[in-house]
Parts: sequence; structure tokens; C-alpha cells
Amino acid sequence: MRILVTSVIALASSAAAFSPITTFRSSVTALEASKCGQYDFDVAIIGCGVGGHGAALHARAQGLETAVFSGADIGGTCVNRGCVPSKALLAASGRVREMKNDEHLKSLGITVDGEVKYDRQGIADHATNLANRVKGNLEASLVGLGVQVIEGRGSLTGNAHEVKDEATGKIYTFKDIILAPGSVPFVPPGITVDEKTVFTSDGALKLPYVPEWVAIVGSGYIGLEFSDVYTALGSEVTFIEAMDNIMPTFDREIAKMAERLLIRDRPIDYRTSVFAAEVIPGIPGEKPVTIKMIDAKTKEHVETIEVDAAMIATGRVPNTKNMGLENRGITVNRGFVAVNEKMEVLTSHDEGATVIPNLYCIGDANGKMMLAHAASAQGISAVENIVGREHVVNHEAIPAACFTHPEIAMVGPTEEQCIERAKAEGWTLGKSQGNFRANSKALAEGEGQGIAKVLFNKDTGKVVAVHIIGLHAADLIQECANAVAAGTTVQELSMMVHTHPTLSEVMDEAFKGAVGMSSH
Amino acid sequence: MKFLTASVAALALLSSSQAFAPAVKPSRIKITQLFAGTKITMPALSSTMKEGKVVSWLKNEGDEIEAGEAIMVVESDKADMDVEAFEDGIIAKIIVQEGEMAPVGEAVALIAADSSEVEAVLAEFNAGGSGGDATSAAAPPAAAPATTAAAAPEVPFSKIDMPALSSTMKEGKVVSWLKSEGDAISAGEAIMVVESDKADMDVEAFEDGFLAAIITQEGESGAVGAPVALIAENESDIPALQAYAATLSGAAPPAAAAAPAAAAPVAAAAPKAAPAAATPAKADGERLFASPLARNRAKELGVDISLVTGTGPEGRITAADVEAVASGEAKVKKPAASASSKPSWTPAAGVVAATPTARALAKKAKLDLATIKGTGEFGRVTADDVLIATGQKEPERKKVVRPGAAVVEMPSGPVAMTGMQKAVSNNMMATMSTPGFQVSRDIEMDNFDALYQNVKGKGISVSALLAKAVALAIEKYPIINSSFSPENGGTIVYKKDINIAMAVAIEGGLITPCLKFANERSVEDLAENWKELVEKARKGGLKPDEYQSGTFSISNMGMFGVTQFGSILPNGTGGILAIGATREVIVPCKQAVLGMKKVKQMTVTLTCDHRQIYGSDAALFLKELANIMENNVNRLTQ
Repeated sequence: MRILVTSVIALASSAAAFSPITTFRSSVTALEASKCGQYDFDVAIIGCGVGGHGAALHARAQGLETAVFSGADIGGTCVNRGCVPSKALLAASGRVREMKNDEHLKSLGITVDGEVKYDRQGIADHATNLANRVKGNLEASLVGLGVQVIEGRGSLTGNAHEVKDEATGKIYTFKDIILAPGSVPFVPPGITVDEKTVFTSDGALKLPYVPEWVAIVGSGYIGLEFSDVYTALGSEVTFIEAMDNIMPTFDREIAKMAERLLIRDRPIDYRTSVFAAEVIPGIPGEKPVTIKMIDAKTKEHVETIEVDAAMIATGRVPNTKNMGLENRGITVNRGFVAVNEKMEVLTSHDEGATVIPNLYCIGDANGKMMLAHAASAQGISAVENIVGREHVVNHEAIPAACFTHPEIAMVGPTEEQCIERAKAEGWTLGKSQGNFRANSKALAEGEGQGIAKVLFNKDTGKVVAVHIIGLHAADLIQECANAVAAGTTVQELSMMVHTHPTLSEVMDEAFKGAVGMSSH
Repeated sequence: MKFLTASVAALALLSSSQAFAPAVKPSRIKITQLFAGTKITMPALSSTMKEGKVVSWLKNEGDEIEAGEAIMVVESDKADMDVEAFEDGIIAKIIVQEGEMAPVGEAVALIAADSSEVEAVLAEFNAGGSGGDATSAAAPPAAAPATTAAAAPEVPFSKIDMPALSSTMKEGKVVSWLKSEGDAISAGEAIMVVESDKADMDVEAFEDGFLAAIITQEGESGAVGAPVALIAENESDIPALQAYAATLSGAAPPAAAAAPAAAAPVAAAAPKAAPAAATPAKADGERLFASPLARNRAKELGVDISLVTGTGPEGRITAADVEAVASGEAKVKKPAASASSKPSWTPAAGVVAATPTARALAKKAKLDLATIKGTGEFGRVTADDVLIATGQKEPERKKVVRPGAAVVEMPSGPVAMTGMQKAVSNNMMATMSTPGFQVSRDIEMDNFDALYQNVKGKGISVSALLAKAVALAIEKYPIINSSFSPENGGTIVYKKDINIAMAVAIEGGLITPCLKFANERSVEDLAENWKELVEKARKGGLKPDEYQSGTFSISNMGMFGVTQFGSILPNGTGGILAIGATREVIVPCKQAVLGMKKVKQMTVTLTCDHRQIYGSDAALFLKELANIMENNVNRLTQ
């Protein structure tokens, strides 16, 4: 509510004394101008997803006058069309799966009398309501901390320090500008998206209907999460993966385990090394979706399937079009903005590219790590650099999670990458594993499937990477991420006390195992 | 043995054979020079290791091995470790099988330098004393028992053995086969899931081939090292290997059994499927019976003749039919697809219209999807369709629902009885040996009803009044209150107390609370007692004495409008009275103006045990009851 007060004062001030720099200057910016010398604000943040929000909050904490160009999309992809609503779908569908799993319930002494039913619209509403609520909280925190939220989309002009509000045409000036425009789903050529029968995550999150059979193009974490939702609600799923392996970005051992836990025991099949070369939308009840697949290498037609729906989960591309990058001489690569490790924008991805002063780019748009919390960390880092404290984000210590049932979580490189890295850098790789089946809490839940593997440098004892698949893996990874960030050794970790009986003891077993100790 | 046990071998934590010097490479085996070949001995993987277990062989007999190649996994007291070969050669003989132990330094396998020396190495090994293998490998005599393995067929194949997935694993259960017999498999592909004491693990094929025969079926267990399946190198060898596998499993030849079993569902499905498959074709090209005039009229009037219902002989479409449709008098016939609620859709050429699970199930059952009628979206074959075709599931009949009416879901299938339901069932069966008979009588209820109207304000119920009336009638005919006993070749057991039990339907069963000494107590007392008893019955709080002490029973269904019914006589009693609804009837009456009058009437039916109670007893009892209820209702409230 502080913003309201600020606004009132601003109005008063404006009326009293300050002469606006440009004739259409708003009253609010007039006040800011008074504080920021020659600029309207200290910092502009273009984009209001999790990255932009994180940057804005940190900027305010540093006492910077801050404006965010939200492009009418406060919360961005994560909150409105991504992580947040998908968690709502996963939470609801996960319950349905649990309650329909007679054998599992029976092992706990529970029987469900009658059929477990769900209301599709109810689940969809839960997701929408959650997104709206989180969005509201996010906006409230911005307003509460005194961030000026500008509704329009911001774009760069030919002049440094300037951002144009695309909605009103107004031009504001800032000492520093942080680009945080995020990304949009990537739709490969040949695929027609109608967001009804052929949809990206944007459409899927609305859960307009539960198809009998849905094809998911791409088996990354988005596709995997949606397969979890769909199969829990009764759909059958076919994955179409262009790479030779399903779940190609995951650690191989984890991917193999995931294949057993998340794919093979479910009504899911898959094709690998094929492209969905042509996807033609259908009409529900009248015409199925036609998917023509070609071999990824020979490009020859291999199979055509007719499904009820197709979800395109083939990754995301930066949302950097039409924001005036070219005005500042920035050349993007597949939409990605080149940045140095301080998040300063470079003129291009080429060698010899130069830093554009006072311009930063964070989040999906720079492509370093397309995760909400990575964007936020980058935003905070950019602000640190703006205020003169040099800061670099350690991306190796940023964890990631896939919220399937059970969850998959990781920090650091895959085992395959670790082996290569150890070889190249001349250190010895150690590996230790904790098992969920050996964990009392996991067994109490009847969820003994899964492993946690710790990859560490045997020479220094430092944790290099951790990969977990199992119950609440996404919560277990944090300790490991902290260890990677702080450079904690397995020797130190093995002596840290873990609560009994909790799932964290799976990590305890792995840490102790790394130094030749037994945990049980 | 041709297996990688994925993720079992510890990575890069191996010690060398002699000490704990850390090495990234797996330890290498000491190979001892020996006659024509070399011996692979059990390595010492730690300083404390005295003996080791071969967890799994990564190579099979006859396989070529190269120096540095991992060939087996050995379990030490610390971990499972990959063991590498030191030199090139061919594995001539595996001496220590998977799951078996051997002291450190003892030979676990023999290596021949090349294929030409394999025979020589084996010959020397057999001559060396342990010739048992040689005899067991020989073809058994014709009379050999069925459990003895037959000679392996002369085709290239390999066995898949139950791998040891953990150090403590003695036997493993095949959780599921990811491949079916006849499937092509490639190296590195997961082909089965095995359950150990630690985890369920995928077991991968180590080489390309065809899964010829499954010896250990899903859900079955096998000792570590025992063959669970055979892999053929060539698809054409599969039948020979299936026959061989049958002798290995020791049971009925699975190949022979499997073939008819597999064929049966196909054969069974075929007749079912044939008309199904023909349906759309027939619908498309259905021959139209229409007169030439009708066709011309249809053309003139712009009517699609295929949508006209024919009323002529044998359904022939007449010109009049066409005109009726054109004028709107007759309704247009719905397209052929209307029989199915699912949209009619013809899949594009080459499209397999089946869901992923349906495909997998059909493959497993060796059913051709084309022979199965699909009921899914766009006529797609669903998992249920396959299960119905294989007889694993009852077909679900589509309910015909009138527009606007709710679908009525009928309960289906067996439901376990509650304890009370079981008790009722047992009690009913026990009555089968009683020779019961039934006598009915109408009782005029005008006076009784008048009395009830008079006293119901005091909380007196019909039940209490009926119990009282019956009890008073019993006073006069105590035989009705007796029971039969087989003692001394037949004994009538009289009971001095008149305890009236009345059936009450409660959630999940039926119980008979009992009004004791009904003849002696006031009807007010009975009414109050009855209320309590019913309340207790609903809550399941009746004491045995409160529901097992009846000497005579009443079952009243009058409140449901039932006019007349017969009850089954509970064991240990002589009679039960079934009471119907009170209804108004016209009866002849000479005194009345029209020679008839309207009275309230109730039909009661007495069921008695004919061993000690006779028809006349029953008739007299009913007469007395009628007398009390028709003419002496005051006695009920006295």
C-alpha cells in the first residue's frame, strides 16, 4: 500500500515544482526524476516474469528507483503458463493417481470404495486460480516495495538509457536497463498449433479436455510432467523424441530409471530418432490429429498416427522479437541475446563482441539456463553488478527439478559429462549412491523406488553433481545445491547430521558412502 | 549371462587385486597359464577377501574377449566390481556360475587362445576330474525323465540367466518381460525387469537376436544363474528353441502349450472381428433397393436416396418414400454410423488405430489388431477392446439411455458379505430341513385401526399392538409357541415365555429384536421397549439375548404395500406370521343397504413347522388372532 502514498506525494510534488523533462511525463516519473538526477529511474526491467521480479525486488533493496515494463504479463511464463499452474495440475492428478492405485493403497491398509472420480474443469480451475493468486501476490510485492509497474511492453530505442512503452508510446530514461523478456514455446516447422487439439504448454495448462490418446512431441521435463498429468487422468501417451534416447537431457542412469518408473509402467509408448514432420490439427469428435513422423537421419517417412491431441513440448525460444534490440546494434542468435558472465549484453555471440554499457539481459532470453529460479538469480546478479559489486552466478550450483511422480531433481552436470570433465581436467571422479528402498520414511510411504547419486571430486572431496529420482527429489536437491555452491566436501557432508526418519537420509547414505561409511 | 546388469557395478571405486590402491579402471583378473588355455581365477578384490561370488558373467561361453574388457562382476565384502580380462581369447568354459562362490585364486573360467583350441581346453578340463559337466551336456537317453534337459538344438543361440542384482540376492523374480517371444532384441535394450531385495532393475540384452523362448514367466522366480529365456540368433530357429526351452522348464512344454493358447484367442476373435470389419464396408457400399422411378424422383427432388427409408416389399424404396422425405412427411434416415455413438472415421492408410496400451497388449497376446473391433475415439482399438478379445475382461454393453434420463449404474460383480449377511445366509440354509407349511387368513382391521388411532398419541405403535395380539392368541394355542426337537425320535418343546421376535431391516442386513413376555406386559411397555430395540439394532448394539430369544416371529411388510407373502420359519421356533398391508375392500354384507360394505382388511400368513404343528392348529390360532383383532381389541390395551 506504500505505493499509493508515494503516488499521492508524487502528484503533489509534480504540481508544485518539478518541470517534466518531456511534456507527456507522468506524475509518478516526475518524482522519480527528482531522485535519479538526469534519468527518470535508476533501473528499467523489461519483462515481469520470475527473473524480472527478482531483479526488481533486489533493485529496490539496493535503494534503486525501479520501473518494470510488464507487457501486461505480470508473472510471466512461470506463473501464468508454466511451473506454477502445472504444479497445480500435477498435485491434483497425482492425487487421482494415488487414489486409483489400489495395490499401493492396499499395502497401506486402505481401500477406496467405489470409483475415484475427478472433475476436469475443477482441476483446470485449480490451476487457473493458483496462477492468478501467485500473480496477485507477485504484483502486490512489487507495488508494496515501491516498484513502478508500467503495463506496456518495453522496447529499446536507438538511444542508450531509453525504453519506450509500446502501449502509450512514451519514452522513459533509465541509468541501467535489464532485459528479461523470457521465452515462448518453440513450434518446429511443419507443426500447426491450434491450441485446441495441437497445443503447446500454454494450451495444455488450460486442460480443455482429457484426450483418450495424446502424443507429446519432445520428452524433456515439460513433456514428462504432462505425461504424468495425462496418464493420471486416464489418457494414453505416445512420446515422439527426435534424439536417440528418450529424456535425452537427463543423466542416463536417471533417465533409464525414469523410463521404468514414469513410462514403462504407465500407458505410454514412444518413438525415438523421429521428427514429427507434420502435425495437422483435428476437430474433437470429428477428425483426429494426424502426425506424420520421419526418421531423424534419413528423413524418410516411418509412421503416421492419428491421435486425439498433440502436445508440442520441443523447448522454448527467446521472446526477443520486436523489442528494439537491433536499434542498439544487438545481433541475436536464434533469438538469444549474448551476455557476458556479469549478464551485460554483448553486441553479438561472435568473438570480439563488445559490451553494451548499462544494458543487461537475464533469464530465458540469454539462454544460459532456462529456469525460473536461474532467471531470478541472474536478475539479482545483474543488480549487484549495477550497484558496483561485481557478481557472477554459478550456474553449476543451480538445481533443477521435474515434478513427476516420483520427482527427478539434479544439480550440476550429468555423470556422462562429469566423466568427460574429470578426464579433461585431470581429476578423479567418485560416485556414491543412496537408495530410497533403504530409507525408512520412503518405505513408510510405500514409495521405495529411486536413487540419489552423488558425483564428487575424489581429489578435493567437493560435490560436483547430484542426481535424484524418487519421492520428493525436488526438495532433497537443495542441500546438494548448497553444497555445490559452498564447495562443501563429501567428508564434511558425511559428518552433518540428518533428521531421522526423513527422506534426507537418502542423501546421508550417499554422502557417507562417498567416504566409505555406512549409514545403516 | 549375456547381460549387463545395469547400474549394479560400482563405478570407479575399485581397488586393484592386491591392495587398495585406488584405480579408476576395473580390476583385472589374474590369468594363469594352463595347458592349452588359461584359467581365470577368482581375484582378491580387497585385503580381507577370502572368497568371492560371481555376481554376473558379462560374457558367455564361446564369446571372444579382449584384454581390458569387463567380463564378469564379482562381489567382494565391499562392493560389486567389474572384472576385466587381461588378454584376448575365447571363453571356453565357465566353471563358477553366476551366484556361486569360489575361493580367491580358484579357477572360475577357462580361456582358449582361439576357437580351434576350445575343444582341447574343454577336453583337458574334463579329463582333469570334474567330468560331470561332460555327461550332463550329453544328450539324455530317450527314456530320460521329462525334467532332464534335452540336447540343445544345433542352432546358434544363447541363454539369458537370472542375474545377481545385489550381493545378497539368491533368486530373482521376473517382474515383467518387456519383450515377447519372437521379438527382435538389440544389445543394450532393456528386455526384462527383475526384482531383487534392493530394487527392481532393468536387465539389458547384451547382444542382438530374437527372444526365442521365455522359460521363467512373469511373476515366477528363478535361482540366480538359472536360465530364464533363450535368445536365438536367427528368427527361423525360434521354434526349435521353444521346443528345447520346454524341456528346460521341466513342466509341460511351454512352446507346445503356448502355441494353441496363442492361436485360440486369434481363432476366437476372428469370427467376432469379421463382421465388425465388414460393417463399415457394407455401410459404404450398401446395395440400395429402390425402384427406378424412386431413383428418378430422388434425382428430380434432390433427395439423397441413401437416406430414405424404404417401405416397399423387403424394404424397397418407392417413389412415394422419396416424395414423403422431400415433403418432410418422412424423416431422413440417419447415416449408417448412427449405430455407434463414436464418430465414424476411416484411418489413413498405414495408420494403426490403436492406443499405446492396446498395441502392447495385442502384441503380448499375439493378436492382430486388425481383427479387433475398436470402441475408442475414431474407432480406435483400446486396451479394453484387446482385453475383451482375449477374454480377460467382460465386454461392457453400451446402455441405451433415453434423452434427458440419467444413466443408471447397476452394481456389478461379487461383493463380500458382511458378518451379519453371512449369519442370515447360514440361518436361512439351516431352515431347509424344516417341513414348513403356510396358512393365510384375512382379518378385518376397522376396530384395530380405530384403536390404533386412539392410542397412537400415547406412543403406541402398530408393532407393539400386533405383538400383543399375537401373544394373546398364542396363550390360547401354546403349540404355536413350541419347537420341534429330534430328541427321543421326536419331542415337542413347549416354552412358557411368549417372546415375540420381529424382523427389522437394517443397513447391511436383517435382525430380529425380540419383545419378551409380550403376553404379560402392557402394550405401552411393549411399544417403548420396541422403540429402544429398533434404535439399538440400527446402531448395532443389540445384545444376543435381545435378538436370539424369540419363540415366535412376526414379519410385517404391510407398510410397503405388500398384500400377502410367506415367511421362512426361523430355526428353533414353531411359527412365523407374515403381515400384509391393510387395504379397503368391498365384502358381501346382507345387512348393508347394497348387500355389501367397505371394510379394512389385512392378510396374514402363518408359516409353521408341520412336524408338531398341524393345519388345524394354525387355522385355530389365526381364528383366535382374528377374533382378538376384530372383536376384542380392548384386550390389547388392558
